[in-house]
Amino acid sequence: MMSTAVRLRVGLSATLREFLREPLNVALLVVLPPVVITSYGSMMGAFPRLHSMDAAPGTLGALNGTLFVATFLPGVIGLFQVISARSADERLAVCGFQRPVMFTSRLLAVVAASVLTAAVSLAVLATRTDVADPAVGFTLLAFVGVLYGLVGMLVGAVLPRELEGSLVLIFLADVDELMSSGLFRTDSVLVELLPMHYPHELFQSAVGGETLATGTVVASLGYAAALFALALGVYTLVAGEGGVLG
Amino acid sequence: MPNIRPEVAADGGIADERPDGTSRPEETARNDEADSDVVLRATGVGKAYGSRLPVGRTVEVLNGADIEVRAGEVVGIVGANGSGKSTLMKILVGALEADAGTVESSGRVGWCPQEELLYDRLTIRETFRLFGEAYGMDREAVADARDRLADQLGFEDFLGYRVDHLSGGNRQKVNLAVALMHDPDVLLLDEPYTGFDWDTYLSFWELTEELKKRGTSVAIISHLINERERFDRIFELADGTLEDVTEEGSTQAGDAGVR
Repeated sequence: MMSTAVRLRVGLSATLREFLREPLNVALLVVLPPVVITSYGSMMGAFPRLHSMDAAPGTLGALNGTLFVATFLPGVIGLFQVISARSADERLAVCGFQRPVMFTSRLLAVVAASVLTAAVSLAVLATRTDVADPAVGFTLLAFVGVLYGLVGMLVGAVLPRELEGSLVLIFLADVDELMSSGLFRTDSVLVELLPMHYPHELFQSAVGGETLATGTVVASLGYAAALFALALGVYTLVAGEGGVLG
Repeated sequence: MPNIRPEVAADGGIADERPDGTSRPEETARNDEADSDVVLRATGVGKAYGSRLPVGRTVEVLNGADIEVRAGEVVGIVGANGSGKSTLMKILVGALEADAGTVESSGRVGWCPQEELLYDRLTIRETFRLFGEAYGMDREAVADARDRLADQLGFEDFLGYRVDHLSGGNRQKVNLAVALMHDPDVLLLDEPYTGFDWDTYLSFWELTEELKKRGTSVAIISHLINERERFDRIFELADGTLEDVTEEGSTQAGDAGVR
């Protein structure tokens, strides 16, 4: 137990050093949220208010932009963590570093990035609209960040290269953000399988000062647990094989 | 360690897998003696690469490759480009699963891959700390191994440098040092001296001689083996199988293969 904790600490420390020593990584985490949230807000602000909208178009745009950036950045980080280091990870595993510990140390780095992105994104959102419950809003943004971090790690374990992985992630995040935004009403069960389906509703409640629906909270946590198990299982089984489709 | 399935006999050698009654008693005794020296054995290793997509084609790389490496032996494995040398090496260390055959090892295995499989933005010190943790070494043992190998291979001035800031030769030295830091019983090296200057090349062979004296086995895979007198045995990998060509020299790789 003790040795696993030490190994986890060493793995996390190495992962964070690797990440922080690339200045562009940190710059993107700080610069992209204001750019994306402002752009989304301005673009949607030019739309007329539709019947299906729960708030003013500009506010909805900023909300959607906040969720998009808080999910997409950790997703990309999760993806690159797995794909870029695949060969070195393979050697480390052969030397005796257990893959589940490796996975956990990479996930913890994704959590750190999610927390940072959530803080910056929420701060930017607060300049455009009132956030009734900032603590819950922050927690939810960090939560969706970790969700997409797991999605990124899952995609990274399956696909062989960064290019394909990034394209899949962009497509998924775009569709997810659009479908969960409430702009389009649909009864499709498939929409419920998208990662942001439940958290989006919770985040809107937190910003609007409404009570969070218990069923939606439970569904979000259940989704996260299932995604964690899936990502860990796939990573442990196929990451060393160069991706399932390699 | 995945794929390496240690089957160690009571005397420390690899467990005898022959069925009863297949050899004479004196033959069995001789074989047992030889077996106790074997630290790595691969039997009937087969491997084919195929795409998981329906449109890809399958390429058979290894087809019943056998090899035994004994304690304190320096073995060369030569083969033409694309003959499957690196695939064989990955299977021997457990980085790749074979489609057929078995690999057994009776001790710690060190692997120096052809490409430097290291983390670019970690310093050499941090690299040793991370891989030392993987090997299960404590901080003191890691520091001892790091300083000893840095001194032997000549990268002691760069311990605080990031891997991506090192020259190609120094990266290769660190690559080798990571394979050696846990004092392995068998060291498997894939094209180890690519990028070495002459002094480092000589240091490498001094180190190999030292390891050999300590009973460490060294298997070197290369498309070109110079100075064949440095090797106890040389195998040639061709058509998916390994053949002992210590006496006659390489046929498939031609004169360019073994000198």
